[in-house]
Amino acid sequence: MMEFSEIFFKYKDLITVAVYGTAIMLIIIGLYGVLLKKHLVKIAIGLTIMDSGINLLFVAVGYIQNGTAPIFSPGHEGDAIRMVDPVPQALVLTAIVIGFAVTALALSLIIRLYKHHHTANIDQINSLKW
Amino acid sequence: MVISPVHYIVAPLLAAFAIALLSKIYKNAARIVPGIVLFYNIVISLVLMPQVLEKGMISEVIAGWEAPWGINLVLTPFSGFLTTAVSVIGFAIWLYGYKFKVRLQGGEVKYYEILQMMMIAGSLGVIITGDLFNMFVFIEIVGITAYSLTAFYRHRDGAEASFKYLLIGSLASIFLLMGILIIYTQTGSLNMAQIAERMPMVPQTMKVTALIFFLIALGIEAEMFPMNGWAPDAYSQAPSPTSAVFAAVVSVAGVYALIRVTFTVFDVEGVHQYLIVMGFVTMLVAEISAVAQVNLKRMLAYSSLGQMGLVLIAFGIGSHLAVFGAIFLMLNHAVIKALLFMSGSYFIYNSDDKRLIGLNGIHKRLPFVSAIFSIAAFAIIGFPPFSGFWSKFYILIAAGDENMIFLIIGILMVTIIELVYYLRTVARIYFYKDEVEHTEHKPSINAIVAMSFLTLFIIVIGIYPNLITGYLHQAADSLLDKASYIQHILK
Repeated sequence: MMEFSEIFFKYKDLITVAVYGTAIMLIIIGLYGVLLKKHLVKIAIGLTIMDSGINLLFVAVGYIQNGTAPIFSPGHEGDAIRMVDPVPQALVLTAIVIGFAVTALALSLIIRLYKHHHTANIDQINSLKW
Repeated sequence: MVISPVHYIVAPLLAAFAIALLSKIYKNAARIVPGIVLFYNIVISLVLMPQVLEKGMISEVIAGWEAPWGINLVLTPFSGFLTTAVSVIGFAIWLYGYKFKVRLQGGEVKYYEILQMMMIAGSLGVIITGDLFNMFVFIEIVGITAYSLTAFYRHRDGAEASFKYLLIGSLASIFLLMGILIIYTQTGSLNMAQIAERMPMVPQTMKVTALIFFLIALGIEAEMFPMNGWAPDAYSQAPSPTSAVFAAVVSVAGVYALIRVTFTVFDVEGVHQYLIVMGFVTMLVAEISAVAQVNLKRMLAYSSLGQMGLVLIAFGIGSHLAVFGAIFLMLNHAVIKALLFMSGSYFIYNSDDKRLIGLNGIHKRLPFVSAIFSIAAFAIIGFPPFSGFWSKFYILIAAGDENMIFLIIGILMVTIIELVYYLRTVARIYFYKDEVEHTEHKPSINAIVAMSFLTLFIIVIGIYPNLITGYLHQAADSLLDKASYIQHILK
């Protein structure tokens, strides 16, 4: 039986590629949803998927192989070199909260649009034009 | 008490949350508190601006973490000038809207005031922050409050305009995060000064990729073509004082963010040409669209986009005189467009019709507001006795210094288009006959005071531009002097 960390080291390049690839795929899937879907809720879901992708990308950037939490504590002074970068994690926390607020607002607007237009199809909601 | 730049943001934010509590105790608190806070912001400017002009800039460290590690606020002559302008115009808009809000349909005064305060706080934050991610957070504060205010009236179009704005704003924020991420991986910093210092070491491809993300994201905030489709909808659907805040405060913050990033943070060749080209396209498309509008507020919104295009052109030229003209135009646009929205919304209110037809012969019912609107219209076109003349004049001279003949011809031609639709509107006010009987709503005294104050500003600056050109020259110097910005913040 191999330890988890051994497996991780064996395939670490593959895993790095997989994480970055997933993040970018999520962003592209979300962008597809936002740009090409006609249903308002699907557009909102696309936005959320894009947010998740970018958050994953941020965390991946700050990650160090076999790293530890960025907290100084007695007896672990030598660990500084292995600590993961805390800045992207702080940024992600902020970005998640902002994404949450925007999603909530988007859904409430969708409810109001649905009440007025009795449809959630974006092609039929076109009172405002150039 | 020591006054520091952080009070610019803290006071309105605190007020926004205090309003919710105070209005439980005293009903009118929601209306009075924003005025006190914005007046306090003017006081901050009066105290800090002399120091800024003397020392060059003030850098404020937040929570005891020194500049490259913590978040810092920077008040340069450029950003200080804009925060002062935003505070003064914000105060005038508050004064104008003091009675106006009684008639809001649907929503409550306190929610409106809370959102408006947060929007101004966010805009001030964008202007004075020295940290890239902090700027993102403030842009999001402005964005979320702006979406909510656009949907403030509970009719169908408000929600539609707001949803469009939200969609494009969220895309902007995702692109902005991508740009910040690339910059962070390449330089290991989020502090603008430190990034600018390390930028020469970054590979060209990474630099250009990040810059493209920033240009898309901040172009949406700065209303640059083709990402400005949200603006006319949002301007025309929002409550009237909010339209004025969009034009005078939010767009200024957007342009500031774009300019700070392209001028200070990045050092990529060719971005100036990009600004000129995109600014010109923005201006041309917006002004031509403005001619086709039948709705007064949409026309003003398109005109606003056109002015922002001219600002971008002037920044793109990049010489001292051009930047001077651009900052002058930003100030002029903020004052004049706020004035146009203020007086224009009285027309709409009096004619029961959002379209231009409602303006026919309105000067008989609203002589004072008509006069104000006409002065503002002439000022924004750039007729000589008003302040709008000087900004356009300096930008044209700057373009002449750089031998950009076609640009001068282009700007003058677009000015003719501008002339057409503004004069058409003014002609409707004075020379058209109006057959329909209307309800009459006289402007309230506070609105008259606010509008007279801004009109007086246009005329005085138009006759004595020397009153502010000194500040403007220092502001332009401080924007162009990247080295001293870096040196001052990193010590």
